[in-house]
Amino acid sequence: MELYVLFGTFVFLLLIGTPVAFCLGVSSFATIAYLGLPPVVVFQRLNSGVSVFALMAIPFFIFAGDLMVRGDIARRLVALAGAFVGHLRGGLGQVNVLSSVMFGGVSGSAAADASAVGGLMVPQMVERGYEPEYAVNITVVSSIIALLLPPSHNMIIYSIAAGGRISIADLFTAGIIPGFLLALVLMITAWWVAKRKGYPVQPFQGYRMIGTLFMSAAPGLILVAIIFGGVRSGIFTASESSNIAVVYALLVTFFVYRSLSWNDFVQATFAAVRTTAMVLMVIGCAASFGWLLAYTKVPASMVDLLKGLSDNPIVILLLLNLVLLMLGTFMDMSPLIVITTPIFLPVAMAFGVDPVHFGVILILNLGIGLCTPPVGAVLFVGCAVGRIPVWDAVRTIWPFYGAAFAVLLLVTYIPALSLWLPSLFR
Amino acid sequence: MKDTMRFVARATSRMAHVSLWAAGLGLISMTALIAAQVVWRYVLNDSIVWTEPASVMIMGWFIFLGAAVGIREGYHLSFDVILYMIPQKAKLVLHSISDLTVAGFGVGMIWFGWQLAEKTASNKLPSLGISGAFDFVPIVVGGFLVFIFSVERVARRAAGLGTARFGDDPVED
Amino acid sequence: EVTLRSSDTHPDGYPTVAAVNAMGDMIKERSGDRLCIEVFHSAQLGEEKDTIEQTQFGVIDMNRVSLGPFNNIIEETQIPSLPYIFRSVEHMHKVMDGPVGQQILDAFSDHDLVGLAFYDGGSRSFYNSEKPINSMADLAGMKFRVMQSDMFVDMVSALGANATPMPYGEVYSSIQTGVIDGAENNWPSYDSSGHFEVAKYYTLDQHLIVPEVLVMSKSSFDKLSAEDQALVRQAAKDSVPIMRDLWQAREKESEARVREAGVEIVTDIDKTPFIEAMVPVYEKYVTSDTLKQMVADIQATK
Ligand code: NA
Ligand code: NA
Repeated sequence: MELYVLFGTFVFLLLIGTPVAFCLGVSSFATIAYLGLPPVVVFQRLNSGVSVFALMAIPFFIFAGDLMVRGDIARRLVALAGAFVGHLRGGLGQVNVLSSVMFGGVSGSAAADASAVGGLMVPQMVERGYEPEYAVNITVVSSIIALLLPPSHNMIIYSIAAGGRISIADLFTAGIIPGFLLALVLMITAWWVAKRKGYPVQPFQGYRMIGTLFMSAAPGLILVAIIFGGVRSGIFTASESSNIAVVYALLVTFFVYRSLSWNDFVQATFAAVRTTAMVLMVIGCAASFGWLLAYTKVPASMVDLLKGLSDNPIVILLLLNLVLLMLGTFMDMSPLIVITTPIFLPVAMAFGVDPVHFGVILILNLGIGLCTPPVGAVLFVGCAVGRIPVWDAVRTIWPFYGAAFAVLLLVTYIPALSLWLPSLFR
Repeated sequence: MKDTMRFVARATSRMAHVSLWAAGLGLISMTALIAAQVVWRYVLNDSIVWTEPASVMIMGWFIFLGAAVGIREGYHLSFDVILYMIPQKAKLVLHSISDLTVAGFGVGMIWFGWQLAEKTASNKLPSLGISGAFDFVPIVVGGFLVFIFSVERVARRAAGLGTARFGDDPVED
Repeated sequence: EVTLRSSDTHPDGYPTVAAVNAMGDMIKERSGDRLCIEVFHSAQLGEEKDTIEQTQFGVIDMNRVSLGPFNNIIEETQIPSLPYIFRSVEHMHKVMDGPVGQQILDAFSDHDLVGLAFYDGGSRSFYNSEKPINSMADLAGMKFRVMQSDMFVDMVSALGANATPMPYGEVYSSIQTGVIDGAENNWPSYDSSGHFEVAKYYTLDQHLIVPEVLVMSKSSFDKLSAEDQALVRQAAKDSVPIMRDLWQAREKESEARVREAGVEIVTDIDKTPFIEAMVPVYEKYVTSDTLKQMVADIQATK
């Protein structure tokens, strides 16, 4: 019965348009009251849910992303991507994907990627005769790449949620090949859709131009080396690397590019505060929600249920993926990582799945969830920058969902895609 | 009524602005603290033990302040698909139910945050040496702002003024 | 029928979890199925600091926690957390089974809790990735991760090393990459965390032999009849020897696994200079007459 109260209140509030964070918080409150427990626990979970050191990577990476958008780093990366692939069929779609690879290599936030790359690309694409839906679709789905390529604070959240035994550096490394694979598959899809729709082609800008744009984008690209090298050589920890990204972005935009005015800096700070407060409020309220799930023994029943269904790891992994995709369509990423890792990781490990591998599956899976309604943060951001209704984007997004799902299956059933690269570093 | 609400908006806008600045300063100081932690440990080979709990506490402040401002500016994520399909009048009613629910949660943040602060007031926080109650000050202050800003939204709607939703520009009048 | 919900941060099957489960079996049988215990293991209900508050508010009924989080709440709990206060695990058992242990259990009652029993938490020693540590001089300038606790930070500083508080989850890769040189823990954690894979030198200085405690929420306890209260208290006491056996077996198992992995272990170490270095730490934390008396009582316990 208490689960009806919990999910009933949650769904009701969600449908009447209450902010997701408060849907989680208030439905937890209602359930606690129904159980006759002191409601103080809801607010205690909320408070300790956001008082976690590792979560600090979120404001830092988002802040760094905002600084890169306003301080010209992102635009230079997009320009470089344009010189590489702009001349292919549906060229700007390809540019969009490649920009996500470059930006994703310096930021771990899909939402930041969608707003940065989308903000720059969608208007250009619409101007050159691409439909806004196509522009938004490719922006949204390709931003999942930012979650897979290091740095990715969601990998940190996963490691923490798994009890901290999983090396964050290994997780970072494990996401690289799946990230590039997703980029490749999305570029093929973008090409295929563009060909069917007869989208225009841009002329090739020449190798000299690539060189020039490369030099101009180099300080942004160096950040990748700094973050990866810094963590691998023990100068800072993986979660501290988010802080280094902010410091480096500030140094480059203030002193190298001299592109960041005081006003830009203030606006970037406010933007980071807004996004982070929103995301972390959801995580905090999800901590209350997750506490109730544990208290009412949902994880244990889930494990029993799955174990009862099959003893074949292939089937179990497929089931896990389907359940995660379903959850991902109506909840946001970070709270889901926090809630589902303790439930599903033991199941996966019981069937012989490596925890690093499972982390990559989880992030990719929930990343797809960010792009699906009803609760898809990245989808919302994409629609906001493209100024189109969510429904219009979703009607035409299927080829891209299909591509992402295909990559998810590959990543799920070929562990080497995730595990080979980290094994080289041991 | 409209004039009253416009007058109120000037006051709440100021509150939101101050909160946003405080939150922004929090983010900057967190950046400085963690950068210092790295420099001290790696360059000076000495560890500062209080940077971590201090920045976690600052993070609490800026999350709850930022989340409260988000209610006024309407930047919280929500799920508006059903709302697109129903008449404007019904939509406004649902918005108000939603805002009142959030206001109620704000009251909970104050009430129960206070209880927690009372219960932990005599504890001492490790490394910081201050009372455990400080852990819960942000949630109480944030709850107060959540309440004020949610009630303001309901009142504005009653007065026939607009309120911001996710994806809209903030209301400033 | 009453179900007592108990929290534990350790995984299922861990000695503490198994002991509370064994206690549950006892009270179920002795009460004729009137009472039972359900253990929420693996920190499902939150970290220790959070679940302590939940127990105080009566949200959950029981809690198995280490003494660390209580150090800033109940001053008596600082005493068994003092470095080198116990000469050996046997010494600790004697003290905690005696009047000093009872005194600490009683102190919980001023904080909406009922102290039921002490469990073993093993003895913590230093491990690192650099070199075998044979004397205090070897520790000089090395960076060790410690829990976020003033006393542990002061202890490491007094030994001449750098205390680096850090979330447990970052310790493995931080040792691997060299952000820190090592950490400190007991055999089972050294094993289960995998830290022995990256920190191959373990020095058994046993600086901390801190028992853990099983507490009950006062409001939950008061709801029970006097008869059931006695039954719970007795079952908790009876679970202690079970726990100690399980713990020893677990320690042996972990030690064997770690030794198998080729870790270099320093066992014979002169602890005298380490203990002497603790004088300022004791001066800082053992302040009131009550605490001084407790230290004297512990040292007098043979
Ligand atoms: Na990334
Ligand atoms: Na979603």
